[in-house]
Amino acid sequence: MFSMPKKALYKPISRRKFLELGGGVATALGAGSIAVGMNSVITRRPVYAYSSDEAKWRQYEGSKLVFMSENTPPSFAIRDNIQAFYDLTGIEVEILTDGLPTVQQKVGIDLRSGQADYHLNYVQDKPIGSPFADFYADLNEFSVDDTLPLDPQGYGSDVWFENYLDACGVYYERGPIRAFPYDCAVSCTFYRQDLFEQLTKDFEADYGYRLEFTDETTYKDMVDITEFFGKMHERDSSIPYGYAQHHGSFGWTTQLDIQRHMYAQNQWLDFAVDDTLGSKNPGPTNWGDAQSVKAMEGYKALADVSHPDNLTNGTLELNTVYAAGGVAMQIQYHEFAASVEDAEQSVAAGGKTAYAMGPKGAVEWNTDGGDNVVNATNCGIGGIGINAGASMDLQRAAFIFASWACSHDTQLMVLRGVGGTPTRKSVLDVPEVQEARNRPTTMPNALTFEAVYDKGIRTPNMVLGPKLPKSNEYHEIVRVGTQQCISGELSAQEACESIREELDSIHDV
Amino acid sequence: MANIANIDVAGGVVRGVRTVDYVPEDFNRRPPRYYLLWLMLPAILLLAAISLYPLVWLIYMSLHEVQLAPGKSDVWAGIDNFSRLATDKKFLRGWLTLFKYSALCLSVEIGLGVLVAVILNNNRFEKILVTIFLMPMMMAPVIAGFLYMFLYNGTFGWYFWILQSIGLLEGGSILGNKFWAMFAIVATDVWQWTPLIALITLAGLKRVPQDQLEAHMVDGAGPFRNFFSVALPNLYPFLLIAILLRFMDNFRFIDHILIMTGGGPANATKILPTYLFDVSFKFFELGRGAAIAFTLLLLTILLGLVLTIVFEDPTRKLRTQRED
Repeated sequence: MFSMPKKALYKPISRRKFLELGGGVATALGAGSIAVGMNSVITRRPVYAYSSDEAKWRQYEGSKLVFMSENTPPSFAIRDNIQAFYDLTGIEVEILTDGLPTVQQKVGIDLRSGQADYHLNYVQDKPIGSPFADFYADLNEFSVDDTLPLDPQGYGSDVWFENYLDACGVYYERGPIRAFPYDCAVSCTFYRQDLFEQLTKDFEADYGYRLEFTDETTYKDMVDITEFFGKMHERDSSIPYGYAQHHGSFGWTTQLDIQRHMYAQNQWLDFAVDDTLGSKNPGPTNWGDAQSVKAMEGYKALADVSHPDNLTNGTLELNTVYAAGGVAMQIQYHEFAASVEDAEQSVAAGGKTAYAMGPKGAVEWNTDGGDNVVNATNCGIGGIGINAGASMDLQRAAFIFASWACSHDTQLMVLRGVGGTPTRKSVLDVPEVQEARNRPTTMPNALTFEAVYDKGIRTPNMVLGPKLPKSNEYHEIVRVGTQQCISGELSAQEACESIREELDSIHDV
Repeated sequence: MANIANIDVAGGVVRGVRTVDYVPEDFNRRPPRYYLLWLMLPAILLLAAISLYPLVWLIYMSLHEVQLAPGKSDVWAGIDNFSRLATDKKFLRGWLTLFKYSALCLSVEIGLGVLVAVILNNNRFEKILVTIFLMPMMMAPVIAGFLYMFLYNGTFGWYFWILQSIGLLEGGSILGNKFWAMFAIVATDVWQWTPLIALITLAGLKRVPQDQLEAHMVDGAGPFRNFFSVALPNLYPFLLIAILLRFMDNFRFIDHILIMTGGGPANATKILPTYLFDVSFKFFELGRGAAIAFTLLLLTILLGLVLTIVFEDPTRKLRTQRED
């Protein structure tokens, strides 16, 4: 039989050769990583005001941009349909997505370093826009540049929903626009209508009123309802707990949650500043005043009867708990309706969930005895901004993408796809979207539109929250103080005073 | 020293012979090897670049208000960043939480690691068991954090379900409870890093002199006595390495905590490195962050030295005493 001795093929590798190979591989890896790092490309063809629309769209054909965004449905939808933008412009856009805390850190480092590796950023108004506003280009300059393909609807505040442009685009001064509203997450109440109907007699027997959720349902009623579900859960574990708040590890999550609760009573605000502008010097905080303490006591009362794992769930996790049938109510951002209505991942799908505005404040928790209570609604308006550290041509190319991503047609495409949250008013006027507001629907997020767009974001229900350069410290301070109160470490009074002390300290008051 | 001399030999005188003074120390003295310095220079420069330069930069940053915006220069802050730390409650609390966390992790991991190593040593299935036992260590800490976060989850977590089923966690929460959250994080660390301690200890057990063990057994010592009197003293250098590695890791690892609790609830698990992370990369106060990092570095070195002294090999101590 033919055979070849093993030694004839075996050729030992010398140490020198091994080192040479190792060096070669290391050099190749290094060169590769440098090449990956330097991944923006810009090419330009001259265009003029009288050039054709096509020439304006394609003036940066062959260029490459990087967009750092949060892992939200619009970003996924745009990434899935990025070919449409490429076909239109010839510009390649790499969309990187990550969780908001990570995006905030990466974007912050990139902006402050001046490197401009991410030409386009997801400018979430508070955690990203407020601390880094000065690092974004003023979009006004591009909005009137007739050598760029401009949106026929324009970019003025009238084309967006109430306060949206101010929320994500205006920081500390009127004039410059730092970002266009790209998506919005507006809070509303998701509740298990099927369980409410099923258990209403039991509830009425115990509490003396019907188990239903209306625009008049107050936070105090929420305590009753949550307590009731807790008792029912003890008797029958198949019945979910009543409610859970937003806590977890990301400060903004908790801050938004308690902000709704605080504002619902007497429209209480953290600082005496205009929230549409924000302030670099907000002055002394209102935390620690009688109203804040009273509202904090109410928040603690609700926490005490909420899901036992209340302190661990951030926004995303809370929605998972709701979708898994762990709670009967959640105040959640309307973009999550798409996942709640997905029967493959939610037991609350198929008409079991109803949507309403956030609960109204409780008159009993107003310290002045007045009846100023509102259905507090807040939001995270995600803008799309352009890194001012990028070259002017990169900024112009980035504007073309920003304008396209926030256009009526793109927002409609996203809404039809994975479930968008339109920021342009015109999208809601489309007959297809009007029809989708009722079940059965092909756009689950549209089921929330009445609670969100028709009522929630209207004055006086909407609370934007303060824009502060030290927003992230502010969120963290509020989170820790609130959690210290809920966990019993501090009383409501002590927690509010602790928050006041720390907020005043970071603002040199 | 070389001399030229005329030497008398049997056949006459030989002139101009090179002779050397006989100095015994000179024969034993090593010739100067300055070239070694040149050979080491690239490595020294590389080390300086990757460790000394950042250290100098860290000190610089800790003394400035660092401005990252292009065109803005850093502002001299003197010792302000350090003096602010003295009144920073979160900084002080971060240290306390770090000590608590580190002490819990170290004591459980060392105890469990040594026990596992003793069980595995010379076991019939030692190789396969060691391989299986090392698996957690091969997992990225971030992944381990996610894994345990899901296991502890109050809605669908398996560990949560087990603990609740046996009545340890009635209607409660693991990561949402200030008391349990710390233990939950320590348990994750123990799960992932006890194998490292076991591996190092196992290597140490292989080096315990067999003759000493046998002599001790002949003298009537049982297995426990044998372990504490013979094996353990021989394990000291290995345990020192294990403790130093884990202690320093605990002082810098934030992966599990960031993923599982982010320092919460209510800062119950906010060890100093997570606070440092917040200050530097959430709040972008790099000067203050550098000051915190510098104190962390100093104390890590200091505690490392203390540990080295405490865990000094007793056999070495004996040898030194004998030599004296």
